[in-house]
Amino acid sequence: MSTRWKLWIAVLCLVGLGLGTAYHKSVNLGVPFWRGEQVRDWEIEAKVSFLATGKRVKARLALPARKAGVGGVMEAGSLGYHYSTQRDADEATALWTAEERSGEQSLYFRIRIPEGSASGGEPIADKFDPARESYLTGSVAEAAKTIIGRITSVSKDPESLFAAVYEQVFSGDGTQELALLSRHYSKEHRDQGRIRMGIDLLEMAGIPSRVAYGVKLEPELGPQSPVPLVEYYDGAYWKVRDPMAPGAVLDAGSWFVWHRGGGPLLDLTGGESSKVVFTVVSERVPLSSLTNLEHSPLLISTILGLPQAERAVFRYLVLIPLGAFVVVLLRNIVGIQTLGTFMPVLIALALLEIPPVRAIVMFSVIVAFGLWFRFLLSRLNLLVVPRVAACVVIVTLLMMLMSVVAHKMGMVGGGQITLFPMIILAWTIERMSLIWEEEGKRSAIVQVCGSLVVALIAYWFMSIGQVQYWAFYFPELLLVLLAAILLIGRYTGYRLSELFRFRSFGHA
Amino acid sequence: MRWWHRWLRTPAELRELGVVGINMRNARYILPNNQRKLYRLVDDKLQTKALAEAEGLSVPKTYAVVRSPRDISRIDATLAEYGSFVVKPSRGSGGKGVLVIDGVEHGHYIKPSGAVVTGDDLRSHLSNVLAGMFSLGGTRDVALVEYRVRPAKVLTELSYQGAPDIRVVMLHGYPVMAMLRAATIESDGRANLHQGALGIGLDLATGKTIRAVHHGSPLTIHPDSKVPLIGVQIPDWEEILHIASICQVMTGLGYLGVDLMIDETLGPIMIEVNARPGLAIQMANGVGLMRRLEPVVDQHLKNPHASPEEKVEFSKRSFRTVAMAS
Repeated sequence: MSTRWKLWIAVLCLVGLGLGTAYHKSVNLGVPFWRGEQVRDWEIEAKVSFLATGKRVKARLALPARKAGVGGVMEAGSLGYHYSTQRDADEATALWTAEERSGEQSLYFRIRIPEGSASGGEPIADKFDPARESYLTGSVAEAAKTIIGRITSVSKDPESLFAAVYEQVFSGDGTQELALLSRHYSKEHRDQGRIRMGIDLLEMAGIPSRVAYGVKLEPELGPQSPVPLVEYYDGAYWKVRDPMAPGAVLDAGSWFVWHRGGGPLLDLTGGESSKVVFTVVSERVPLSSLTNLEHSPLLISTILGLPQAERAVFRYLVLIPLGAFVVVLLRNIVGIQTLGTFMPVLIALALLEIPPVRAIVMFSVIVAFGLWFRFLLSRLNLLVVPRVAACVVIVTLLMMLMSVVAHKMGMVGGGQITLFPMIILAWTIERMSLIWEEEGKRSAIVQVCGSLVVALIAYWFMSIGQVQYWAFYFPELLLVLLAAILLIGRYTGYRLSELFRFRSFGHA
Repeated sequence: MRWWHRWLRTPAELRELGVVGINMRNARYILPNNQRKLYRLVDDKLQTKALAEAEGLSVPKTYAVVRSPRDISRIDATLAEYGSFVVKPSRGSGGKGVLVIDGVEHGHYIKPSGAVVTGDDLRSHLSNVLAGMFSLGGTRDVALVEYRVRPAKVLTELSYQGAPDIRVVMLHGYPVMAMLRAATIESDGRANLHQGALGIGLDLATGKTIRAVHHGSPLTIHPDSKVPLIGVQIPDWEEILHIASICQVMTGLGYLGVDLMIDETLGPIMIEVNARPGLAIQMANGVGLMRRLEPVVDQHLKNPHASPEEKVEFSKRSFRTVAMAS
């Protein structure tokens, strides 16, 4: 059988398999094929990880209370654990138990809520509950009293008192009393010191208050620690506020309050070094349509089968083949010269995070300075690998310097520069300087610009919403992409650049 | 001539002219005819030279092979008896890392351009070569120090400094196209076409120059020295075709380019064999490679056991070209 037929059979199989699976998923399992206008869902996953000590393990994770108006689906995952949930009027907890566990353990709890629904921080009516007695003593107590005295002389109602207390606590440029108090609290409560201090001050002023835990609805954050919030009682209702923005009501679009009521978030016996990490993902697929998929073996063909923390990684991973496809297209059909075959893909990945104009400025500055430094280095006649390593050091320092300068100039996001692949940049500089010496600066600049153009086109392709949607929800379509790449691999026609290159052909 | 010809040619026109593009060269001629395992024979000049010497071909005499830092530190003593030499990476490509030394004065080395290379410069160049800076894939390499060819006068006249070399492209042992590459001021003594060297097409039947191009556009006199470039007879043409056909047999590659130089006293010398010869040779000859490759493929199918001499005769008979009007 000739190679030609083998190729076509392979291509047909891949296209058939890819499109067939996608068709089945979309028609029979109800995953929408087009990125539509469906309501987005927030999917919030709590991951409890700890080191089991070999004894009986019992982990109790506080859950969002139904009473706060939170709807949505909840599910838990963990291998080898007995799992149950317990609910009473305002408390809900998930309970995992297992006999004799050791080593690293992970427990997952996942909830889905429709976007724009309640934040979980809505006021809850409650009967009056007097504030706790202060346990502060000595000079610390005196300092606290002075501060309260000063604040209550200006504001009386709980709302403004709360705002005034936290403005004081976080203002930093406080009085001696404040400095004394915050030293005391940071010793007692470490990073939660200021929040605890505010709570105690509020209690002393007669307003019952306690810690609540929230999750920021920002998928870009990746795995995040629970954010401590403050809940206070205004005489009729318990209200949750962000101490960093004490004046404002919690915005349901950017916050979800996971736990309130003052109890601990996690209660663990039989394990140590425990921590809770949240991952937030914005899902476009409506819940109801996923129920079919969950009972289908095809679940494995979607990334939805994975825990969220791992899923977030794939959000970018599935885009890399798309970038590679663009590179193949531009090199073999168009004929653009690039420095290094897949370097543009890595730059395009960085571009997804950094606004393109800024990214290009950063890239140019780093490459220009790096080249200059590389020419200085070349006078020292270093061996190749140490020279590239020296370039890595310089590139790193340049990145730091640029971030600092950008920050001082008041530009937000100077730190994004770290998203550029450093080692790749160093090699780019090295290769560029070699081409500069061997073939002249024109050739070097043409190739760097070619790489940037390819990177920009790859970025543009990878940032199309529909393309991202397909890559993420229909990864089997990558088989179709693979078929296209195979076909280009056997393309023997002219490259576009050759139409230009051979333009003077034929006239004598 | 249509209005678009100033910028480009359509694919249909190029196909009509028989032009071979990179994708076609790779997919149709290189991949099926050149086995991967044979590449090492030609990518490593040390091996190519050993093969060629076994066949009795003349190659530049090897003065020294630099393999280790210890060899580098003794280089001055090793080279003391030679007044001129060429340093090249054994696994280099496209003329990268080639250093030509024309003379030695007061312990300093002099390049043909007159530039001075100190002993330290030479040693650091050698260590770059060993570190793999010029080799394919950046792997560790050895440096060859060899005889510097003194090109025949006919050839030096066509070139502004630098030594012109001859490239013969072969398919299945049939010479399909040949060109001479000559340096210009712009190319700075190098024979690399996209650095501004001249590509001069050669008639396979006679070994006369037929056409010359600079950056893709035709010309008839050398841009720097104003010497006429067309109708010049290359000496020892039969010998050159013979060497090229032996190179095909000894390497076993189906599609290859053989680079040669012509020494004043020693005659044609095989410099290197290239398993991925470039496409600029079509521009130099004004003929699409397809016009030559297709008849050769047919002939090879009809007559698979032809002797090297018969193959050369076929090419000379079939691919006769007339010089372009000057």
